[in-house]
Amino acid sequence: MARAVIIIVLSAWLAGVAVAQGPEVSLGVVKEAYERIDIYMGTLDVLSGGMASVDVATEMETTIAQDLKFSGLFRVGMLESQAETDSLSFQFAIRGQVEGPLRDAEVTGEDAPTTISLDLVTYPDGQLLLNKRYRPMPHRMRATAHHFANQVVEMLTGESGIAMTRVVFSRGSGDRRDLWVVDYDGENLMRLTSNRTLNLCPDWKPDASEIAFTSYSRGMQVLYSLDTATGKVRQIIAQEGLNLGASWRPDGEELLLSLSRSGDPEIYRISPEGEILRRLTAVPSIEISPEWAPNGRELVFTSDMTGTPQLYILDDVGSSRRRLTWEGNYNDSATWSHSGEQIVYATRENDLIQLVLIRATGESRKLLTDARWRNCEDPSWAPDGRHVVFASDRTGTFKLYVMDVLEGGVRQLTFGDEPDITPAWSPR
Amino acid sequence: MNTRKLTSLLLLLGLVAWLGLMTGCSSDDDTSIETDPEAVVEDVVETVPEGVTPEEPADGVGINQEDVTDYAAMEPAEYGVEDVFFGYDQYDLDEVTMGVLARNARVMKEHPEVVVLIEGHCDERGTVQYNLGLGEKRAKAVRDYLVSLGVSSGRLRVTSYGESRPFALGSNDQAWSKNRRAHFARP
Repeated sequence: MARAVIIIVLSAWLAGVAVAQGPEVSLGVVKEAYERIDIYMGTLDVLSGGMASVDVATEMETTIAQDLKFSGLFRVGMLESQAETDSLSFQFAIRGQVEGPLRDAEVTGEDAPTTISLDLVTYPDGQLLLNKRYRPMPHRMRATAHHFANQVVEMLTGESGIAMTRVVFSRGSGDRRDLWVVDYDGENLMRLTSNRTLNLCPDWKPDASEIAFTSYSRGMQVLYSLDTATGKVRQIIAQEGLNLGASWRPDGEELLLSLSRSGDPEIYRISPEGEILRRLTAVPSIEISPEWAPNGRELVFTSDMTGTPQLYILDDVGSSRRRLTWEGNYNDSATWSHSGEQIVYATRENDLIQLVLIRATGESRKLLTDARWRNCEDPSWAPDGRHVVFASDRTGTFKLYVMDVLEGGVRQLTFGDEPDITPAWSPR
Repeated sequence: MNTRKLTSLLLLLGLVAWLGLMTGCSSDDDTSIETDPEAVVEDVVETVPEGVTPEEPADGVGINQEDVTDYAAMEPAEYGVEDVFFGYDQYDLDEVTMGVLARNARVMKEHPEVVVLIEGHCDERGTVQYNLGLGEKRAKAVRDYLVSLGVSSGRLRVTSYGESRPFALGSNDQAWSKNRRAHFARP
């Protein structure tokens, strides 16, 4: 009985989770009808293990359901959210069971195994498509749910899921901004630096083993790399002037960086050990904000060589320069989608920064945000090529939000009083 | 203290007091030097009296310092090196700014041992990265002007914080204008 009550409450919560997490506000700008897959998240059977296993089952159900919703690819129904469930025509369902440790088992506590078995089946005939059995450590329940959600996304859509991705960002104000990391769903917020200075513009190495970021030492900019397994920080490069805007090449072998050692900021290719490999620009203006294309052979960057900042595409030997932006007199912060087809960037209009979507060819420019969101800055694509994390000060303080670029929905990712800026979405 | 030392000290103090009074009277004279009586007294107290062997301080600094004020430990604003401000999206120096920098150059030449860090700052209306570039242009414009006035470039370090370390909070002209600046800091 108690379990049913819990499920009812949680289902009602989940049905309204869009509001609780931050309203699914339609920006009304980019909106296309998109076919979603209707899937039913069943109540997991608890075979043994008492209340602890009931909690595990609940966490698995709500996390999987949320991951599927957040992917943008599914509409999820659950038991007892009857109104919502009735409007869906399920093609698939998830069911399973949780087996916690038996009361008289010799092993207890941390060592006591909980086995979770999950099935993805067709609905209503129940044909088995996928079965997974997990035996996770107690603190790994949520990660297990994320893992299974990814399997479901991949099996049913062919896309790789983003349920195990994370977002690194810079939090703070005054003279201290530290790197923090958060799961893509807002959970597991964790601080990465505490070095009493400004830490900005992080970028993930493609294998997620390192995060490069700009910091300051005795007032001068330095590029550091943080080892994501150990938390240890090493210096990559510290040239005179700016050491800014690191972008790892997709094969992880090189980085792009803006260095002003020659007198004004230019784009360079450097090794992860800090060796300068190649200078790509040589114009007496500001060249900044480089980002590799997913093909690893081209890059986008910002230059004010015409007088105001605009985006340009360049190849990796510094030739074939092509101007990308022709509208607006202030364009910066480009992020290139993993398919290579789309770029999101920031444009300043009437003193406010807005996000723009453009094809890498330069066609189909579309505003993604408007003045109701105040400033929208620092966009970073998710590896699914559909979601973008960005910073907005619509509440008066910069917080991070995740936008579904295809449908225009937005959810808030980070909360609290401190400004959050320069996010970077992790690789898969 | 022995009587001899005390007598010397009293004589010197009397001399100092007299000097203080003398210079205080010439306040109308533009060329008068402002003395800080306390600093001079400190100096006198540390002067080695006859016949006594001084203990050398561990760091080897001579006791007979003319100027005990440690400018290297002070923020430049405290000894007269002032910040300058810029127009929106601009890094050029206007007349007011050039006047302030001319004064700053004089102060810096009076204290040749001092090194400053020129920080370029921007208001919030722009992107993080481009504002770091603009901030650096502001800091370099200031550095180059000071060099043209004869300050050695080795004493002028340059960095940029862009919009990321503002002086004034607020989204209005007042706060914005305070944040568009080159700030002189102790390195």
